[in-house]
Amino acid sequence: MTDRLQDTSGDSGHAIELVEVTKHYGTMEALKGVDLAIGYGEFIALLGPSGCGKSTLLKLIAGLEDLSDGEIYVGGKLANYLKPSARNVAMVFQNYALYPHMTVRENIGFPLKMGGVPRQEVDSRVEDAAGLLQLSAQLDRFPDELSGGQRQRVALGRAIVREPLAFLMDEPLSNLDALLRVEMRTELLRLHKRVGRTTIYVTHDQIEAMTMADRIVLMHHGEIQQVGSPSEIYVTPANTFVARFVGSPPMNLIEGRIESAASGAVFVGPLQLPADKAAACGLGEGPATLGIRPEHLEIVDASHPEAVPAKVDLVERVGADSNVFLIVGGQSALIASVDAATPIHEGDEIHLHLRPEHVQFFDAKGDRVDHGGASR
Amino acid sequence: MTAIAESHVADRGVLRRLAVDHARVRRRKRRLAELSRHLVLGLVTFILVAPFYYVVLASLKDSNAIFSYPPKLIPWPPYWENYRHVLTETNFLRWMFNTMFVATTVTVLKVFLDSMAGYALAKIDFTGKRAVFMLMLILLMVPGGALIVPLWSLVFSLGLINTYFALMLPPLANPLGAILMRQFILGLPNDLEHAARLDGLNDFQIYWRIILPLIKPGLVVLAVIIFTDQFISFIWPLIATTSDDLIVLTVGVASLRAHGGVDYGLWSASAVMSLVPIAILFFILQRQFLARSLAGALKQ
Repeated sequence: MTDRLQDTSGDSGHAIELVEVTKHYGTMEALKGVDLAIGYGEFIALLGPSGCGKSTLLKLIAGLEDLSDGEIYVGGKLANYLKPSARNVAMVFQNYALYPHMTVRENIGFPLKMGGVPRQEVDSRVEDAAGLLQLSAQLDRFPDELSGGQRQRVALGRAIVREPLAFLMDEPLSNLDALLRVEMRTELLRLHKRVGRTTIYVTHDQIEAMTMADRIVLMHHGEIQQVGSPSEIYVTPANTFVARFVGSPPMNLIEGRIESAASGAVFVGPLQLPADKAAACGLGEGPATLGIRPEHLEIVDASHPEAVPAKVDLVERVGADSNVFLIVGGQSALIASVDAATPIHEGDEIHLHLRPEHVQFFDAKGDRVDHGGASR
Repeated sequence: MTAIAESHVADRGVLRRLAVDHARVRRRKRRLAELSRHLVLGLVTFILVAPFYYVVLASLKDSNAIFSYPPKLIPWPPYWENYRHVLTETNFLRWMFNTMFVATTVTVLKVFLDSMAGYALAKIDFTGKRAVFMLMLILLMVPGGALIVPLWSLVFSLGLINTYFALMLPPLANPLGAILMRQFILGLPNDLEHAARLDGLNDFQIYWRIILPLIKPGLVVLAVIIFTDQFISFIWPLIATTSDDLIVLTVGVASLRAHGGVDYGLWSASAVMSLVPIAILFFILQRQFLARSLAGALKQ
């Protein structure tokens, strides 16, 4: 089974390529010229808040919706006018979309039967897929006799059995409870490694995207905000939206201005910090936003040369770490992530140090100024 | 025994008596409630069953005995002459055949067409979909009587008067079934249809292989409504056919009066026999009809 599912296209191009993909619903623009190239065997997560256009994009790739403008290539072929079944993609839906009047065996074998595959081959491929997904004992049951996890596996089986070029998964785990979701996440990853097919996975859960994807495509208001590996997205967010959306707690963003001083460029806001690197990258005087991840805020002694005074507003204990909500400069609320053993209490006056190599600057439009300063 | 102990024993006795009295009152109340419930149920049953029983009774008496006083609640020996007369002296079996043929054909065609139209209205995007649906709703609001003359003119100009088509085509245009089916199909998740499209099914295959099996409950309800409606339809068959060979039960039974004056015994016997097919249909579908219609209601 696994061998048969290995990618044999031999095409050096992309498994899926989107060129200026646009979708309107009346006057509402759901997708605004999306460009994206996805390699063979890649696991891509489309991440973003509800209504950002990620599911629409998936349906466009599947052919379930018509494009308003742009081009979609699947396996190097223009797919704009191809029927969904001719695009060589398989989809797994959020609510499983199993046919309730068919058994598991019939559900999994249905796409093959419709494709005119001989009965014996259908049976053998169904058995293979069921074995891979540990569904062999459930083959003659109906969907309403299965648990949520088993139904999800049947939906996967129906996709796998077609041996498609790419799997399209639309929030496939969101109907499962938290524990089962974690379990299925691991199973999906294992399956992806075994099957090795291109996978586009839509989710609004950043943990799923961060843990599963080779690359994350972060979307907002029908536009791609950033494409990158989970680590790139986390460490060097392209703009303030990405910085806020990825990470829990999110990146601290402090609004202020870049000003010139005798010592060089300085960020002036609720706190003051040298901003020479930002200035060197072309960020001139004017409004700017300073960003720093909660784990990069250190609690230091008052004697530290770059200490910033802060007051502890709230301490939120989350197991091994504590999220400390701080008031800096009398107004700005920052979050520091510290070891749970750190003796810190609400109302304490403390001093912070913003590790300069992790400080990032965003210009007035919210775009990150790339000064190469951020590192993990 | 001290005075205090004696008074305690006395108190206990009083309490026990009170408890017994209370239980008796409760029992009486419960019996009264049960009795009134049965009275109401009995009354409702009587209202529902009495006319039917009266018709059966009349069918088993000769026309003089029907109005005799005091009325006999159990006619013995039963008078079968009415049934013999209806079966042998009239065209009753032909009427029955016509009715069954028309009602069954209309039901089968209409269930098929309505479910297809319902699927298109619920799940397929096409230009003018909203306008078509609004027209169908408006058509529902036009009283049937207002349509009879134009409908007759139309059927006449098509040369279909006095044919089975005259009886079967007009009911097919009733939009109620399609609207019902649309509502039923709207409740099915869109992703099922999407999955079917990815599995390579075209619109008709999706309708046939996915939608139809899932709306069986709705189809049963619709079939019963259409069949019953056709079975009791009177005005249109009366004006659309004049040939004896095409007369349906309702028209035929009514014509008994025109032919031989008012013979309530004959009328009653034909009415009782007319009920047989529809009663059989209900007995066959009863379990499925009830279970399915309830399941449908809960799903909505």
